[in-house]
Amino acid sequence: MSVSFQPLLTRFVREPGSATLDFYRARDLGYEALRKAVTTLQPGEVIEQVKASGLRGRGGAGFPTGMKWQFVLKDSPKPKYICCNADESEPGTFKDHLLMERNPHLVIEGCAIACYAIGAKVAYIYIRGEFYHVQRILEREIEAAYRAGFLGTNIFGTGFDCDVYVHRGAGAYEAGEETALIESLEGKRAQPRIKPPFPAVSGLYNCPTAVNNVETLCNVPLVIAHGPEWYAAIGPEKNSGPKLYCVSGHVNTPGVFEAPMSVTLKELIFGCAGGMRDGRTLKAVIPGGSSTPVLLPDQIDIPASFDAIAKAGSMLGSAAIIALDDTTCMVWMAKNLLAFYRHESCGKCTPCREGADWLYKLLARIEAGEGRMADIDLLLDVSRNIGGKTLCPFGDAAIAPVVSTIRHFRGEYEAHVREGRCTVPAGWRGRGTAVMAH
Amino acid sequence: MEAVSLTIDGVPVTVEKGRTVLQAAIEAGVRVPYYCYHPGLDIDGSCRVCIVKIEKMPKLQTSCSTVCSEGMVVSTTDPEVADARAAVFEFLLINHPLDCPVCDKGGECPLQDFSYSFGPDESRMDFPRRVFDGEGVMADVDFGPTLMLNRNRCILCTRCIRFMREIDGDAQISVADRGNGSEIATFDEEGVHSLLSGNLMDVCPVGAITTRDYRFKSRPWDNPAVADTVCTMCSKGCHTSVWLKGKPEWARGSKLVRITPRLAPEINGYWMCDIGRFGYHWVEGERRLVRPIVRGADGAQAAAGWHDALRTVGMLLGAAREGGSGALRFVVSAHAATEEMFVLKGLMEALGEAAAATVHWQRSEKDQPAAVKFTIPVTDAPNVNGARDLGYAVGAGNDGVPDLSALQQAVNAGSVKAVYVVDPGPAGSIGDLSWLAAARTAGRPAVLIVQAVESSPLTDAADVVLPGSAWLEKDGLFTNDQGRVQGASRALAPPGDARDDWSILVDVAHALGVTLGYAQAGDVRKAIAEALPGGPYADVDQVTFARPVKASHWLRTSNPSERWKWDFMFQDLPPVKGHSVQTEQGYVDGRVLPLRPVG
Repeated sequence: MSVSFQPLLTRFVREPGSATLDFYRARDLGYEALRKAVTTLQPGEVIEQVKASGLRGRGGAGFPTGMKWQFVLKDSPKPKYICCNADESEPGTFKDHLLMERNPHLVIEGCAIACYAIGAKVAYIYIRGEFYHVQRILEREIEAAYRAGFLGTNIFGTGFDCDVYVHRGAGAYEAGEETALIESLEGKRAQPRIKPPFPAVSGLYNCPTAVNNVETLCNVPLVIAHGPEWYAAIGPEKNSGPKLYCVSGHVNTPGVFEAPMSVTLKELIFGCAGGMRDGRTLKAVIPGGSSTPVLLPDQIDIPASFDAIAKAGSMLGSAAIIALDDTTCMVWMAKNLLAFYRHESCGKCTPCREGADWLYKLLARIEAGEGRMADIDLLLDVSRNIGGKTLCPFGDAAIAPVVSTIRHFRGEYEAHVREGRCTVPAGWRGRGTAVMAH
Repeated sequence: MEAVSLTIDGVPVTVEKGRTVLQAAIEAGVRVPYYCYHPGLDIDGSCRVCIVKIEKMPKLQTSCSTVCSEGMVVSTTDPEVADARAAVFEFLLINHPLDCPVCDKGGECPLQDFSYSFGPDESRMDFPRRVFDGEGVMADVDFGPTLMLNRNRCILCTRCIRFMREIDGDAQISVADRGNGSEIATFDEEGVHSLLSGNLMDVCPVGAITTRDYRFKSRPWDNPAVADTVCTMCSKGCHTSVWLKGKPEWARGSKLVRITPRLAPEINGYWMCDIGRFGYHWVEGERRLVRPIVRGADGAQAAAGWHDALRTVGMLLGAAREGGSGALRFVVSAHAATEEMFVLKGLMEALGEAAAATVHWQRSEKDQPAAVKFTIPVTDAPNVNGARDLGYAVGAGNDGVPDLSALQQAVNAGSVKAVYVVDPGPAGSIGDLSWLAAARTAGRPAVLIVQAVESSPLTDAADVVLPGSAWLEKDGLFTNDQGRVQGASRALAPPGDARDDWSILVDVAHALGVTLGYAQAGDVRKAIAEALPGGPYADVDQVTFARPVKASHWLRTSNPSERWKWDFMFQDLPPVKGHSVQTEQGYVDGRVLPLRPVG
């Protein structure tokens, strides 16, 4: 199985010097989409085109981008802001990293068009704390874009002003939540705000703000350059445009693959990523990053689109596909992920702060062979008490690995309790402490 | 007022537009628990216990952050709500030490009360609790000069953080670390340094922040009575409540244990400063004057009865009054109530040009952040405006600087034969009068009479000392810096032979042959109302002063946001000697004059 698709976002990423402005002007869009937007289109028309293209947010929720921009209060006397969410922290996700590192001008052009569309003059690229070298690349290329007149004042002689700044966070998963990102940008702790008000009404510095994922903004120049009809024709209906998939786990060739959303999970794992390593059997797939419920091998012959994966009971999320082979102990996996979530819980609201830690302790006890049968139902009950009751979606994300692994692999949990040990043949796995992401 | 109608638990409720569901529930008397919500602070939405079910909304909503809309149907008792709420209580108590028996908040703790009402019967958590540096009080750390912090008890409602950020204007407190390791912290463990620090104990819904002043001093059920009064430590006139500790077996009666703020939206809101909160110890202190003192022929001071003391005063002042214009000088502290100043004014009018009075007080600039929302005035006395309204010269405005230089010159020149000091405030609150004590010791003036509440170098130099009453021991009118006439109520009996200051002045007048004709404080207020018609004093004779009431009743009628949660406290307490606890029916809710717009 292989996927034949001419990449649009990542076409040149493996060529030397792809990050430079000269390369971008010579080979890629070269700010022609920005020129087209500011010289021939009204801001409202840009939004209409993005809406017509069917572009949906690539950060995880899949919210239509044009609609998000439309909600930004146009008549507010306050300044408006674009925040580019580059806090890519979801375990298994590494697509934005690639875009910013190898194709930064596409991000910058997307930011500028987004600013033009919502009437903002400033875009902040909030970049994850660990992406230090990426920040340096971005800042270098932003500087180049300023020198070439694509950023700054009076762009293309139209009177449109746009500044793009890179702000590096301190490395918190929660900072990827849009209101927490805004708080962090304001210099506060990265903790979510209550919604409403939504950022479109009161965001950064209490001004109307649109927060968009890096990949989302990278799609915007494509829509403008080639037109919404061309864009909407890529991939299935309501799931249009090219999508970056981060395939990782026990596959032969992990990596970022670009494909329309008609591609199936099976094609991505067994085609793009070269199938399971050592010829082992696929046991489960996490389709959209660690906070999405696992799918079983018989569920993966479906398009990797927002709607199809949602129909299968999971989420496309950030399209971080983690393939797990038969050496994976699902209890251990859930424990490992909960170690991440309890570490990354911001601690603001009660169920998540207290519950994630409790879940981890229960999982660690079961995994260590000291659990009780009642602990399994307790895990489900604690998860139920967290799910949907937290301030932000973090709580739902944290319980997904627990609930879905118990649903599909309850036998493994029971075996741990009954036999006091792991029954999965996984000799490679040490009994050490769980991996702490950072 | 634009109104919104909704239904909470089947009961129709109408509230002002913009109110949240939680506020509507509180107003309607519907029980919804909350921790991060505080009526004086911004909405946070983090504790999650106030969740309710609202029809047409997919998930349970936090009522504190949901604004009421027309026709909303809210349920706080739906099984789904009850389950979810109980789960949050289970979460909250996972790491809470449950050291209620040794916790200062025990008995008046919202976590305790709400957990009993809404929490699960038992916890399913069987792992060891998180402790920061040991179980129980071992986790206590100093939290600045006035407070202690117990991190194990903290439930991270962040009210303290928001208080410091929003009200104090200096965000000294923050959360350190994150997730389950989150803890309340100050930079470099310096603690809170603020003149508003005591409010942090009030806002803390658990025993995490306690004041050093009240710590381990009493339990709520040992404080059976509360009196509503007004603070007199500065010109702001904050509404306060005085808590009295008493046990049936105490022969002495009840004792003052703490002062807390009382909601007064236009004056102090929900807050008060540390000066008023912690500066009450002198009232029951060792330096209180409990008997009149007269200097004998041998030059030594000796305790005396009122009869002898007043006769001596009459003799000494009677001689001085013959000394010509300005020979008899009164120095009045602006801590004196309006009644006292009014009686003194009547006396001076009768004495004619021989008598003159000067009002004096202390000023101090308060070190507060520029962004502070609760400012403490520079005038450290409660009644400068009252003195001005009665015709005393106190300068213009609220920040006037008192001036005794003319008096000092007259004393030095020898034209003053006698000085009478009326000083019912704590020692030193009248200002620096050490020069007067020295002048008396040097023989000019020949007579110094001090009517005061605390012994001081000034009373040591006096010929006669008359013990008066502190503000908590008498009913008195004070006019604050907004021009509001407020009644401070008597919560305690004066110590020993000490008496109400106005009545001392009436007797002094009598000793000088002046009959003022006031038999009780009400007569004085009636005279004030007649003397100052039409203005803020026109109905001061109608003021009903509060009396100590049962704490249970007080708690129910005080802060409306807090009122229902105390229902189960303070039941069936035995009566306490020393003060009469009034019945709820007998308590007229007229503790002070109704608030009037200023100007």
